[in-house]
Amino acid sequence: MKYSIFYKKSLFIYFYIILIFVITTISEASIESDIKNITSKLRCMTCQNQTIYSSDTEFSLSIKKIIRQKLKNNESEKEIMDFLINRYGEYIVLEPKFNKQNLFLWLFPFIILALSLVFFILRIRKNT
Amino acid sequence: MNKLILSLPIILIFIISIFLLIFLLQNKDPNVPPSALLDKKIPPVNLVDLFNDNKLINLSNLKNKEILINFFASWCAPCKVEHPLLFQIKKQNPNLYILGINHKDKKHDAINYLNQDGNPYDFVGVDKKGLIGLEFGVFGLPETFLINKSGKIIYKYLGPLTKKVITNEIQHLL
Amino acid sequence: MISLIGFSGLFFSFLLSILIFVIYFFQNKKYSEKILYYAIYSSFVCILISFFSLMFAYINSDFTNYNVFQNSHSSKPLLYKIAGTWSNHEGSMLLWLVIMIFYNFLFSFNKTLDNNLKKLTIFFQTLLYLCFSSYVLFASNPFLVNSIEMNEGLGLNPILQDPALAIHPPMLYFGYVGFSLILSLAIAGLILDKINTKWILVTKNWTLFCWSMLTGGIALGSYWAYYELGWGGWWFWDPVENVSLMPWIAGLALVHSLMLTQKEQLLKRWIVFLSILCFSLSIFGTFLVRSGILTSVHSFASDSSRGIFILILFLVITSFSFIVFIFKSTDSNKNLNLLFLNKTSTLVINNILMIVACITILLGTIYPIIIEVISNNRISVGAPYYNSTVLPILLPGFLLMSVAPALSWQTNKLPKLKSYLFSFILMSIITLLVSYFTFFNTWGFIGIFLSLSIIGASLISFYNNYNNYGLKKFIIYNNALIAHIGVGIMIMGITCSSVFQSESNLSFSINETKEVNGYIYKLEETKIYNKKNYQELVGVFKIYKNNKIITKVKPSKRYYNVSKMITTEVGIYRHWFQDFYIILGSENDNKWSVKIYQNPLVNFIWFGVVLMIISGLIGIRKK
Repeated sequence: MKYSIFYKKSLFIYFYIILIFVITTISEASIESDIKNITSKLRCMTCQNQTIYSSDTEFSLSIKKIIRQKLKNNESEKEIMDFLINRYGEYIVLEPKFNKQNLFLWLFPFIILALSLVFFILRIRKNT
Repeated sequence: MNKLILSLPIILIFIISIFLLIFLLQNKDPNVPPSALLDKKIPPVNLVDLFNDNKLINLSNLKNKEILINFFASWCAPCKVEHPLLFQIKKQNPNLYILGINHKDKKHDAINYLNQDGNPYDFVGVDKKGLIGLEFGVFGLPETFLINKSGKIIYKYLGPLTKKVITNEIQHLL
Repeated sequence: MISLIGFSGLFFSFLLSILIFVIYFFQNKKYSEKILYYAIYSSFVCILISFFSLMFAYINSDFTNYNVFQNSHSSKPLLYKIAGTWSNHEGSMLLWLVIMIFYNFLFSFNKTLDNNLKKLTIFFQTLLYLCFSSYVLFASNPFLVNSIEMNEGLGLNPILQDPALAIHPPMLYFGYVGFSLILSLAIAGLILDKINTKWILVTKNWTLFCWSMLTGGIALGSYWAYYELGWGGWWFWDPVENVSLMPWIAGLALVHSLMLTQKEQLLKRWIVFLSILCFSLSIFGTFLVRSGILTSVHSFASDSSRGIFILILFLVITSFSFIVFIFKSTDSNKNLNLLFLNKTSTLVINNILMIVACITILLGTIYPIIIEVISNNRISVGAPYYNSTVLPILLPGFLLMSVAPALSWQTNKLPKLKSYLFSFILMSIITLLVSYFTFFNTWGFIGIFLSLSIIGASLISFYNNYNNYGLKKFIIYNNALIAHIGVGIMIMGITCSSVFQSESNLSFSINETKEVNGYIYKLEETKIYNKKNYQELVGVFKIYKNNKIITKVKPSKRYYNVSKMITTEVGIYRHWFQDFYIILGSENDNKWSVKIYQNPLVNFIWFGVVLMIISGLIGIRKK
């Protein structure tokens, strides 16, 4: 009896989650500018915290040229990123890699969120 | 149990502050990231001699030598400031192989510059388009690398060398 | 001379604060209260004298003052000379002090609280002032005298010479620094065990004011970044931006929680915790920004001794506060009435989501430092990380926001449920249609759907409130709805201006026209102007639609004589439903490379924020 209230109200949310997955699948078909995408994730090493996309320094322009060339050679985004990381270090990539060192960074927020929601649901159950 | 949860903020504050304090005391420059190439083998690139188009060396062939690689250009003002110090390093370390790489420069400007201000390098390579610099993760000039006898990059310095840096950091490694 | 007056003002405010501190311990003496209040008034006057002396020195380009010499130049326009007072580290710390005392001063007129609580709050606020003013006096003095006689100053970064940027720090500080009063209220309340309805009312009013000012300050910064930095962006998850966002989020959680307790539901401990947290985050933020340990577009010139002093201040103030919290906070015995879903539980969820978001931002900002200390490897934690973590965490909050104000405290029934369900379904359909006619994009879909749901559900709630209560007590019943609609509009603006932004890289010669999305752009001419401290090259563009001229847009490049810097000024035509954003690039062979952005609904972002600020301010009440 207690559980059905949750299920009924949650049904609503499940519907939307499914809808969003569907949308995401359809979205793959949309066109994105590859250079904008990749350079927005890279740090301009000669600027004060700007992306290569948004900067016009010599360094940024030469990296943009190199990336353009690599994309023409059909290199994947991962290959391009790895190429740059091997030379400039992880510092040049704005998204921290999902490796052992950064595991805490990526998982901690979701773990505390999950834990707090669990406590919250338990409290509600205690109440009803 | 309750008191433990209540004490969490303070514990966190102390832990974070310790990290921040250590970081502050290390006096790191936020604009100077540590090199990605430390402890890696020197990139096996070919370098054409600045003074002789037909002469070429391959960096991986420079075995059993301690090498100092200095990226410079004739238009780079700080490079001119550190230039005399390179002669000093050569004097203090006669066995050190000093390699200059002329980065994103015009050949005859570079030749004129070295003729005027002197040439401390055992070899000067040409890197007109900056591709060699790319292999080393260069993003500004001047940049200096130290390579040990096994061909590994052991040190990188960003910016013009100073007497202090040479005595405190470079000499120790040679 | 002026520096001497300024320094004396600062020094006397410091001395008077020591007096306030000491006099507190002599409460039973006859004149102690009078002395206390007069000391507050006079220390406020002294710090004002100090601040205006510095401003006077700037206006007169008095280069015998080292701070003025470092940061100003005689050719700067008057407005920026004045703003130069607080556009540097030492001057802005002086402004910080002014605002800190100002809050103490204003608070001294409070008539609601018990006298003891009031005086203890003033005591702690003064103690905080003593900490920060000793920092300024001993490590950040803006009144140092220039040892060399100089005829001219070192000028200021031309990018900072801007009206929005001139008001941005003061407004920001009214928020950040104002949270110090909230901290003082919390500590005083804890010690005297007086966290009661009166305390909650007073704290709520001050928090609303500070939070609204902080919202305005952050928004001004973003608004400036949008038109100044040149790529249509307005939020970069830059460390300095993150650092201002954290107290804002904590303040938002606090404002919501304070509402919770006015309805016989008590979460005393949590509220006090948040009250301490807000200012702790402010100090922490100040430390991160001014110590120079983070790379940011926004960095002040820095040095590590400055950083260590602030870190110590942070440690001392927050440890003391949290220790008092551990030992003196009590919990109420009333159990929270948590149901799935009533207003109480949505407020709790709001708190959870806000705090997790805040922790995530904190983690992301300091993680590179931690990693570098441990492994000497430098990593970056930038926009991609925050967009993948913070945004998803906030999404459920946005969804709940649509119906939360209409929920009941006691039951889990939502009056007029059917109309809300109908609204959600309608909004889903509209969003699907919009996506179909433009293109499908996950964030686009989510953003538009959430924004429409919030606005739709809030309008339904407005209507229901009108039916039930008419226009009586309009603000009390509907203030939350106003704020939430503001958020909805802002989300719409954020979504459309990022997802549906169009970017074109074109080259123009004079009198050439090009077409973008149905609009025709023509480069008419280029003109050169000579202004007071810069030379400007303007590209005059005309925009046409259906052969009718819409507007002229004038992007330009400026060359500043003193700093020898070239800046690019974006040309923007702001329209209700989209911005036309033109950037002049470089010229080659009489052809100009030009970047054109069209940002749909970007101005909704600013409209939404203004609504939020208005809602915050009108929420300040007497009862």
